[in-house]
Amino acid sequence: MLKKKKWGYTLASLVSVVTVLAAWYICINVLHLKAETVFPGPITVAKTFFQKLYTKAPDGATLLVHLASSLKVALLGYALGVVFGVPVGIMMAWNKWVDRFVRPLFDLIRPVPGLAWIPMFILLFGIGIMPKAAVIFLSTAVACIVNCYTGIRQTRQEHLWVGDVFGASDAQKLFRIAIPTALPMIFTGLRVAMGAAWMALVAAELLAASEGLGYMIQQGRYSSKPALVFVGMLMIGLVGLAMDVVLHWLEKKVAKGMNAE
Amino acid sequence: MKEESKENLVCGLCAITSVFAFLLVWYLGCTFTALGKLLPDPITVLIGMWGYIVGTVGKCSLLMHALHSLQRVLIGFLIGSALGISLGLLMGRYRLARAIFNPIFRVIRPIPPIAWIPISIIWFGLGETPKIFLIALAAFANTTLNAMTGAESVDKTVINAAKMLGANEFQIFTTVVIPSAVPSIFAGLQVGISCAWASVVAAEMVKASNGLGWIIQAGMDNNNMTQIISGIIMIGLGGFILTYIMRTIEGVACRWNRSGR
Repeated sequence: MLKKKKWGYTLASLVSVVTVLAAWYICINVLHLKAETVFPGPITVAKTFFQKLYTKAPDGATLLVHLASSLKVALLGYALGVVFGVPVGIMMAWNKWVDRFVRPLFDLIRPVPGLAWIPMFILLFGIGIMPKAAVIFLSTAVACIVNCYTGIRQTRQEHLWVGDVFGASDAQKLFRIAIPTALPMIFTGLRVAMGAAWMALVAAELLAASEGLGYMIQQGRYSSKPALVFVGMLMIGLVGLAMDVVLHWLEKKVAKGMNAE
Repeated sequence: MKEESKENLVCGLCAITSVFAFLLVWYLGCTFTALGKLLPDPITVLIGMWGYIVGTVGKCSLLMHALHSLQRVLIGFLIGSALGISLGLLMGRYRLARAIFNPIFRVIRPIPPIAWIPISIIWFGLGETPKIFLIALAAFANTTLNAMTGAESVDKTVINAAKMLGANEFQIFTTVVIPSAVPSIFAGLQVGISCAWASVVAAEMVKASNGLGWIIQAGMDNNNMTQIISGIIMIGLGGFILTYIMRTIEGVACRWNRSGR
């Protein structure tokens, strides 16, 4: 009975996906409600996707080359941001004096969305890899600091007292008690940061780039090839999802048994 | 009590010292190194910003630009969150609704709102509509997920109790499910508003004739660093005010929740 019901829901999902695709196809390719130059049909999008795997027109590189260049920048900025953000967040939560001096500055920077820095960084660093990496670095670092800070602050006072009773040094208390407690939160931070980094990168590439997925969709718009824009958007979504899945898997591996979801 | 006010005083002093030190480093860096050629010092920025508030940047003063951005965010946010909350609640409560909408939602959600900018310009032209569409999308993606989790995790016992007392499905939905999802919905709104603010800035950076995003973009085109930094400061301020308002509303709406914890 229960199994049958589950099948029914899967069927409903399938029917809904098929209906949307069919409606899309009928509206565009049969009824011609919108021109293909404005809203491409599903078949055109699929065709563009496969073509883009080996053709370089109109933006000078294949899909995979764009993807690789986006990923390279994103991972560079992300790695730097994590290496900087996680320790700073932990230090801020652990040491009262660091908190007092660094937090006011951090609170000033925090409400500014990462991508608002793009114009400034472009003027400072030019249009290379640097401004993008800097923007991603900033977005990543902010998300990491916030989450590490909250995570460490969640450490139960009782656990620290237990450490005190057994004569743990400050470093031991930090590494054996506080950081393991904060690990799930730190991982949440890493995932939020990944989302923020990817978004900032796309924004940066829309504004100033010569390759990358953001550049590709911008070119698709200029050469009025909306199918290309669709392909780029789906690719951006897919890669974002894939990176989130990887981090989630890593979280389950590393933070096993530490109330990871 | 006395201990607390002393602590506050120390914190305040530290905050002032660190911000002042930062400004001093910035000032000295600009006056004595090559950085000064690229970056205006804080005093110049402050004077310039005052000039923008009293006078005009582009067509209107800095504050009017902020209001333009704010107006877009509010309209888009209202539309997007209203749609997102209703869909999320339905999806959380009824498995059939989830089976139908979740596959489609899952495809759309991982695409950052910014990646929609080119396609929304193709669809809606250059006026207000694409921006509002983008912001609505940003708000929608975040609120739907949270409303869904909220409606899903309603205590089964409470629903059964309501059923036992003879509540019909409509009553259960409006008096049990919706109120218990409110804290989760507000968490979604909180994320949604900062995401919407980042999106409006990005949208205005790509194409607009007013708004804070336009200010920093135009500043980049004119190589006017003072204008960019003024814009960034205003964007940070706007984001801060929006989250503050959201948090206040949350505090009022979820007062029962906090005292219950």
